[in-house]
Amino acid sequence: MKTTSGIVAILLGPVLVLSAGAQAPADYSAYPCLSYTLPCGKIATRKPQTKTLAGALDGNAERGRQIAQARDKGNCLACHVMKGGAQPGTRGPDLSHYGNAGRSDAETYTAIHDMRTRNPETLMPPFGTNEILSDLDIRDIVAFLQASK
Amino acid sequence: MRLNIRTLALAVVASLGSAATVIAAGDEPYREHYPQARIDPARGVNGDIGFSDTLPYWRNEEEVERNAKWVGDPNEQWKLNWKFMDLDRIDLHPGHLAVDEGEAMVAKFAKRNPAFFSCLAEGGAKLDGLAAAYPKHDAALGRIVTVESRIEHCAKTVLNEDIRQGTPPNNKIAVYFKSLSAGTPIRVNIGDGKVMEAYRRGEKLFYVKTGQLNFACASCHVPGSIMGHKLRGETPTTPFADAAHYPTYRTPVGALESIQERFARCLGQMRTVQIKPGDPAFVDLEVFMTVLSNGYPVSVPSAR
Repeated sequence: MKTTSGIVAILLGPVLVLSAGAQAPADYSAYPCLSYTLPCGKIATRKPQTKTLAGALDGNAERGRQIAQARDKGNCLACHVMKGGAQPGTRGPDLSHYGNAGRSDAETYTAIHDMRTRNPETLMPPFGTNEILSDLDIRDIVAFLQASK
Repeated sequence: MRLNIRTLALAVVASLGSAATVIAAGDEPYREHYPQARIDPARGVNGDIGFSDTLPYWRNEEEVERNAKWVGDPNEQWKLNWKFMDLDRIDLHPGHLAVDEGEAMVAKFAKRNPAFFSCLAEGGAKLDGLAAAYPKHDAALGRIVTVESRIEHCAKTVLNEDIRQGTPPNNKIAVYFKSLSAGTPIRVNIGDGKVMEAYRRGEKLFYVKTGQLNFACASCHVPGSIMGHKLRGETPTTPFADAAHYPTYRTPVGALESIQERFARCLGQMRTVQIKPGDPAFVDLEVFMTVLSNGYPVSVPSAR
């Protein structure tokens, strides 16, 4: 019995390794898509949402820096120059001295949550509304931006 | 009395009209659009003038050679629209091997049943130059046909083989098929009403924002968007003449990729559901993109 399961393990081993290595594409079916037939083709875009910062910011600037740079999280660097980030994008405003701009935590939080509330034509993803970043993530990024001087 | 009836009739028509409007509006979910650029499909590739205005730098090999100093320059290279990759001296890549493999496959299938070749050639004796007119509306099939869907259709109906779009065998035959039109100016028939209907649908898809990031194709590929700006390591380029070099050998991927597979890859980057090659929405987008290549030569095989 032991031998049998050992052989099965040896036979299945590579299969399991292979299936673990093949990364499944992320599921974005909760968001609108281009299909004429799939259900996502009929999903409405989430409308601009004004979210107010609740309570004190209490953000972690170092964690905010990491989130801002991570391609699978904020990826703010895709469009903005930021402190300590390599290969920045150039389409958005330079944020490397954001902390000197005199913007409040509250307005910064609201803008990251959904920039469409400030500029309907913006290219910036609605990070909070579309759940790209959590409330905590956004607080950390605000802390990072305010610490960028 | 007569007047009253007429008034009543008008009122009924008006109310029907408004009811219909309400129903139509209810059918369409809320969407946002990138502001639409003015593109005249009749201008083909020349529509880039007044759009990205980079056409003068890449319109032919002489111009690309003249501006080759920009290759590798992070601020200027995007203006070449990657056409420096098509220069003759870049001669040895797996795209060329795929042409040979595709040719061998067509020969093998045609030997098994000559109808396979005539299906590809739409009854003709040669494939030369045919690919430049794709996508086209096929009246007999009653739909828009791309080179890749023609291959899939002929394989299924003549050979009972599945050579599905977006698979390596289909791409190899497509590269061979299109290589027989290399240098021929693309001529999608915008005089065909069905083609123009597809163009207009594809154009709409190009500007509609989708996915978790709420991006449209246009968010990166229209003047005023990210086009020409750095997007981390990339600088998005003009959509004009882009359809000319597909299927292409993608060096970062290490495989041939059809234009519709490329669309799917873009959608993944936009965090949007990746629809499949052959999907009607992708066919419409390919029509839109290829009309923007009208007048520019088919540039297959290629590498990107």
